[in-house]
Amino acid sequence: MLRDITVSHAPHISQPLSTRRVMVDVIIALVPAMAAAGYFFRYHAAVLISTCVLACAATEWLCNVIRKRPNSLDDFSAVVTGIILALSLPPSFPVWAAVVGSCFAIAIGKMVFGGLGANIFNPAMVGRAFLTASFGMLMTTWTVPATLDPAMSKVAPENMIHARTRATPLAWSKMAIKDKNGAELYNEWQFKAMVIGDIAGCLGETSAIALLIGGLYLLIRRTISFHVPLAVLLSAFVFAALCYFRDSYAYVQPLFHLTSGGMLLGAFFIATDPVTAPLTRRGMWIFGAGVGAITMLIRVVGEYPEGMMFSVLLMNAVTPLIDKLCKRIPAGGRPGV
Amino acid sequence: MLSQHTGAVCRPLVRSGNMVQAGQKVGDSDAFVSAPVHSPITGKVKEVALRSHPVMGRSPAVVIDAYQYSPTKQPRFERADDFDETRYSPEQICDAVRQAGIVGMGGAGFPTRVKIEPNPRLPKETMIVNGCECEPYITCDYRLMLERTSRIVAGIRLARRASGCARVFIGIEDNKPEAIEAVDAALRKHVKSRQIEVVPVRTKYPQGGERQLIAAILNKHVPTGGIPPAIGVVVLNVATVAAIAEAVLGDLPLTHRVVTVTGEAIAHPGNYNVAIGTSVAELIEFCGGVTQKSAKVVLGGPMMGIAIADLETPVTKTTNAITVLTKEQIGKAKFARRQTACIRCGRCLQVCPENLNPTKIAHAVKNNLLDVAESYYINACIECGCCSYVCPANIELTGYIKTGKIFLARQKQMIPP
Repeated sequence: MLRDITVSHAPHISQPLSTRRVMVDVIIALVPAMAAAGYFFRYHAAVLISTCVLACAATEWLCNVIRKRPNSLDDFSAVVTGIILALSLPPSFPVWAAVVGSCFAIAIGKMVFGGLGANIFNPAMVGRAFLTASFGMLMTTWTVPATLDPAMSKVAPENMIHARTRATPLAWSKMAIKDKNGAELYNEWQFKAMVIGDIAGCLGETSAIALLIGGLYLLIRRTISFHVPLAVLLSAFVFAALCYFRDSYAYVQPLFHLTSGGMLLGAFFIATDPVTAPLTRRGMWIFGAGVGAITMLIRVVGEYPEGMMFSVLLMNAVTPLIDKLCKRIPAGGRPGV
Repeated sequence: MLSQHTGAVCRPLVRSGNMVQAGQKVGDSDAFVSAPVHSPITGKVKEVALRSHPVMGRSPAVVIDAYQYSPTKQPRFERADDFDETRYSPEQICDAVRQAGIVGMGGAGFPTRVKIEPNPRLPKETMIVNGCECEPYITCDYRLMLERTSRIVAGIRLARRASGCARVFIGIEDNKPEAIEAVDAALRKHVKSRQIEVVPVRTKYPQGGERQLIAAILNKHVPTGGIPPAIGVVVLNVATVAAIAEAVLGDLPLTHRVVTVTGEAIAHPGNYNVAIGTSVAELIEFCGGVTQKSAKVVLGGPMMGIAIADLETPVTKTTNAITVLTKEQIGKAKFARRQTACIRCGRCLQVCPENLNPTKIAHAVKNNLLDVAESYYINACIECGCCSYVCPANIELTGYIKTGKIFLARQKQMIPP
């Protein structure tokens, strides 16, 4: 009656969730942001996103072949990296440079460490940092959304530098600190436009509402916990509020900072990358607070108008330290104490 | 089986060829932490030899050929309702418990006498009666609470008398309102004061773990590495207290227990009163055999149970269930799927009932860094299996942690290699 019985240790059952499913959830959550990018930047969005995804996947495949490792494309993590990298690039970014950035992100940001789960830094941000350092000019050329100037969508990327460009809200706020006209600026840049995304900026970061919908999906699916995004947004808000109350002429309102630049994309999709964020809840609070504060520090004091990328990378570097400091104590207390 | 409990293995009291009566003691030990073993049937001793044991691999056992099929008389407990527990002295109760060979029937099998006997160094203040099922699939404690309510209440009164505990809480999960009602009604008939009360607790796994149950009821945590008496608590399973009543009032040794036979592959799943020593194969046969292609026979539940290789393994005092899983079910389980890299998602940390860091411990063990595993409190793990259950990367965290504990004990020469 009973033959071929299996013997293994407990537990003998498990829930069906897989790493692939986690990654697919992130991709689903990025759909609103990708759709918004497509709406505002038309074919630039389609070209950049597909380029980055394909280049990331190809790089991962090649690295596995070289290292004689099993193919790891089926976990879809390369796709997530590709999408996030594309969404953090300026719409007019040339395709060849996006390919270079994608290769760097996967090869140097992830595969040299041993692949998924072993990397110290967020691969997409490693790729973006490389592009910022190498092609500073291209990385800070912002086009007007197609919704504001329909002609933009017809301009080929290579001519984009000569096409009409426009400063991002953050670049304006940077100037406002010098000119002491932050209050006027806020009136000029309407809050509504920043929520919907009718502004210049990176592909996927302009539409606050699309990012919030995606973030909410991740929270509901419990793919991410609320700790990191909340800590990022809270610390950035407090930082911005302190500046604002100190000198409301020079600094823009705190809410401006939360909806501008890469703040929401970073808080919900980049800082929450589990591989490079702390494991413990306490660690997540510290990590998120650090990301928010350093971002604001760079925005207000630093040379760059935006600091999300650098702050995430900096906090990634201290994640092992945070994990070490925030060790969990067993429910019954430390033994022998 | 001469080892069905935590503590010293019994030495056999009979030899091959001897006749034994149902209820006769066949093994005993002089050690303090031990419990005697009794024959559930009348018959002839075939041999005293090594047999498959669910936990220990192989262990000495007394093999008895049934002389004739004679069902052991079930104890009658009408009089259990109106007895006066003060008629029994604590020593009398402890002695009867020891003689009956009663051990913790929830799983650990710690000799009950040692647990309830007053200990001047660690005075007991609170007794918790565990009416939470150990695991999903298992329902033996639930049925016991419904069908042998008066026996349980009698056992609780006796155990309280023996241990001198001031307060008794009966923890029952809130998805069993009928059991809560039944036990509560039986209590109110006999116990006037509120010194013994039923406490509904949240239904979750692992609520039936004693550390978890104590935390849920008393909001106190048993110190890491410590046992409940360290905070003046003694935890007894409902099956154990029922056995105490049978032993003290009916003079009956522990020879039978209720076993849940379950799993998708069993023809007639249910709870059965099983003679201890019955082989798993026989029991499955009795339950109509298996209907589908079964692939795994587990002693206990699906989360912590032990998969056995030899179906001649007998039911012991601590076997609360036999779960037969189908090929399809285990195909979805961790070990059948490809293990991928840990993405540090932290799910194992969130589900750990002991607030540990399973992924750190498991990876330390994997890399043979036992000191690191220890610094993350590997020995505080209760091996509930929740971390393995949730891991999206199919990492057998619990397996690594269990292995690490064994390595560590060997390193410290607590157990032989």
